[in-house]
Amino acid sequence: MRKDISSLHVPHNKNTAACEPQRIAIPAEVILPMNMHSGHDAEPIVNVGDYVKVGQLIAREEGRFSSPVHATVSGTVAEIATMPTANGKGTTFIRIESDGKMEVSETVKKPEITDCASFLQAVRDGGIVGLGGAAFPTWAKFNEATNPDYKVDTVLINAAECEPYITSDHRMMLAHPDWIADGIEYLRTYMGDYLGNATFKICVETNKADAIEILEKTFADKPYVVIHKLKTIYPQGAKQVMLYNATGRVAVAGRRFPSFGALIINVSSLALMANYLNTGMPLVERIVTVDGPAVAQPMNLIAPIGTRISELLKITGLKAEPGKVVVGGPMNGTAIYSVDDPMVKVSNAVLVFDEKTAKLCEPSACINCGRCVEKCPVRIDVAEVDRALKIKNEDARAQALIDTGVRQCVDCACCSYVCPASRPLLQINWEAKAFLKKYAAEQREKKEANING
Amino acid sequence: MAKLHISSTPHIHQKGSFTGKIMLDVAIALLPATVVGILFFGLTALWVVLTCVISAVLAEVIFNLCVGKKQTVGDFSAVVTGLLLGLNLSINVPLWQCVIGSVFAIVVVKGFFGGLGKNIVNPAIAARVFMLLTFGSVGAVVTIAPVLDLGFLGQAVAAPELIAGATPLAALNQGAGAEGTLSVLQLLVGAHGGTIGETCGIALLLGYVYLVARKVIKWYVPAAFVATVFACFYLLDGFNATYALQHVLAGGVLLGAIFMATDYVTTPNTPWGRVIFCVGAGLLTFAIRKFGSFPEGVSIAILTMNLLTPFISTWTKKKTLGGIK
Repeated sequence: MRKDISSLHVPHNKNTAACEPQRIAIPAEVILPMNMHSGHDAEPIVNVGDYVKVGQLIAREEGRFSSPVHATVSGTVAEIATMPTANGKGTTFIRIESDGKMEVSETVKKPEITDCASFLQAVRDGGIVGLGGAAFPTWAKFNEATNPDYKVDTVLINAAECEPYITSDHRMMLAHPDWIADGIEYLRTYMGDYLGNATFKICVETNKADAIEILEKTFADKPYVVIHKLKTIYPQGAKQVMLYNATGRVAVAGRRFPSFGALIINVSSLALMANYLNTGMPLVERIVTVDGPAVAQPMNLIAPIGTRISELLKITGLKAEPGKVVVGGPMNGTAIYSVDDPMVKVSNAVLVFDEKTAKLCEPSACINCGRCVEKCPVRIDVAEVDRALKIKNEDARAQALIDTGVRQCVDCACCSYVCPASRPLLQINWEAKAFLKKYAAEQREKKEANING
Repeated sequence: MAKLHISSTPHIHQKGSFTGKIMLDVAIALLPATVVGILFFGLTALWVVLTCVISAVLAEVIFNLCVGKKQTVGDFSAVVTGLLLGLNLSINVPLWQCVIGSVFAIVVVKGFFGGLGKNIVNPAIAARVFMLLTFGSVGAVVTIAPVLDLGFLGQAVAAPELIAGATPLAALNQGAGAEGTLSVLQLLVGAHGGTIGETCGIALLLGYVYLVARKVIKWYVPAAFVATVFACFYLLDGFNATYALQHVLAGGVLLGAIFMATDYVTTPNTPWGRVIFCVGAGLLTFAIRKFGSFPEGVSIAILTMNLLTPFISTWTKKKTLGGIK
């Protein structure tokens, strides 16, 4: 039998696994950033003072892999301005003051779908993005699969939810297995030419026994749907790891994912996509897990996208002064500057750490223990990457870095997590990957200049 | 609201995975051997060990002060180095030599190479070999029988006072069944001559179990060392299992295999690399004991393999999954 490449035991802390998601009271205002997806920022099409309704398009997609933004409450556009973001670039946001009515827009109606093209267009219009964390527009992912060079025979539905604390995907599976089923049928019907014979593997970690049971019941009569049970070992949910553990195929860096014959989609993305195609209501709300050592009452909440995180924390209460607030999981989430920041499309969790748990140790000297290599799903020797990064000559550095295999890094952070010297190992890999990306771009430019000159 | 901490991922860290805790675990694992050593060899043993530990820690503090580096005594690596060195000396070593040995280990072997993680050879072993070459008698060469009365085990321990005699290893080197050789049980108990920490097999094995249970070391690393020594003496020196086992238990094989061939810094960081390291050290131990001029070969064997570590690491590195290399 093939051995799983994930090998890290992290404490699950799934305190909210049994918490039925509760819809929060309509927030007084929502903040909708234009960068809730991986590509270019969306472009606002409303003005300050406009009255908008739930589901109404307020920003259209602009450029590659962009995604539209919809109003998530009804009310008045109060402000369009820029805000800082974690990557330092900053983004435009639209602030809507709610009138408390949650009036639904007339534009919200079941989209008409006749073929693959109209299906992709609908998914695009619904503002559906990958909710696992990457926020890659879902239509673009499907579109890649239509490339005749790729033969997609497996659709991996990522329901691993391998990060500690988070249970929003878990609760989605319990609440709406029908949406997941609908999503699969949509794909089979309208992308039949490409996915008609594909096996749909819903990959769930075994710590979600109730979800596995419901899914097995739902799909009992569908031979093309397989519930694939994954060991509860981090990082099962990383796409490269899931591909290997579920199919035995190795994702090679630099190639598009469907070229490995597989498509991967987050379970919540698929469910919310089906909901949109059924009702016409775009991605305007989601389940968010609020948990962490400083949270008084860990809960799952259903909140409009754009709700300020402070609003969520008011509901769950805090038992300690927050030291760090993380949006997403503790292994891969983003620490935010202020609790007034909004939750966005990919915010599957808000974790609040107290002063004690927020602080991590200062890095010290590497003692060559080898734990980073041992726990790395793809066996990268980070110490070797670190040495290669210090090479002065750029060509030699690039070659040395490629030789370390650092491009295969799946960003799971296992190396940093286990490092006894608390060294920021993941960041070393990031630096290496960023350098290689820049170097490759420069080489391409040089080549083109040579051809043209 | 107070300012929030901002940091990159991950936001949690593995419980207990800290350099200081690992070193502390090693020190704890050495405690049984230390206590037994003091019981067998008397208070002098305590003074030797204490001198080594204290001078190692002080050497580290002073060295860091002199070169303007951040204090690193908190990682307990100097404690472990001092403790290991102390346990590798016999009680007839003058204390001033212990001090010089510890300073050599910390300053020359570790500090000059860049501190913890940068040293290419094990500081305690390097210091022991340095002392052996500089002062002549350090280790198992000069021997003293223990003070504890364990007469029921028979010869060599009958008298409660210190007596000079051949170490069991020296006796063993005369060949299987030679005069003065101790039984396997006597060697396991360790109430005989030798260095402070090496004699009691049971105490060392307790440390081994502790380190494996705490996941500080992998069980197969010391096992590979011991198995190689056993296999060599069994296959190449007369197919005598008792004799081979006596060679494993006498001298520093267990102490070296469990505590020094498992040092992260100076051994390969790949599983196969670690096994190859230990097999190599085992072979060298056999060769030195059998053909060399020293009765004991563990220190030199490990020291030699330390120097080969980078090659073994590179050689046994596995290809990155999906990567080019």
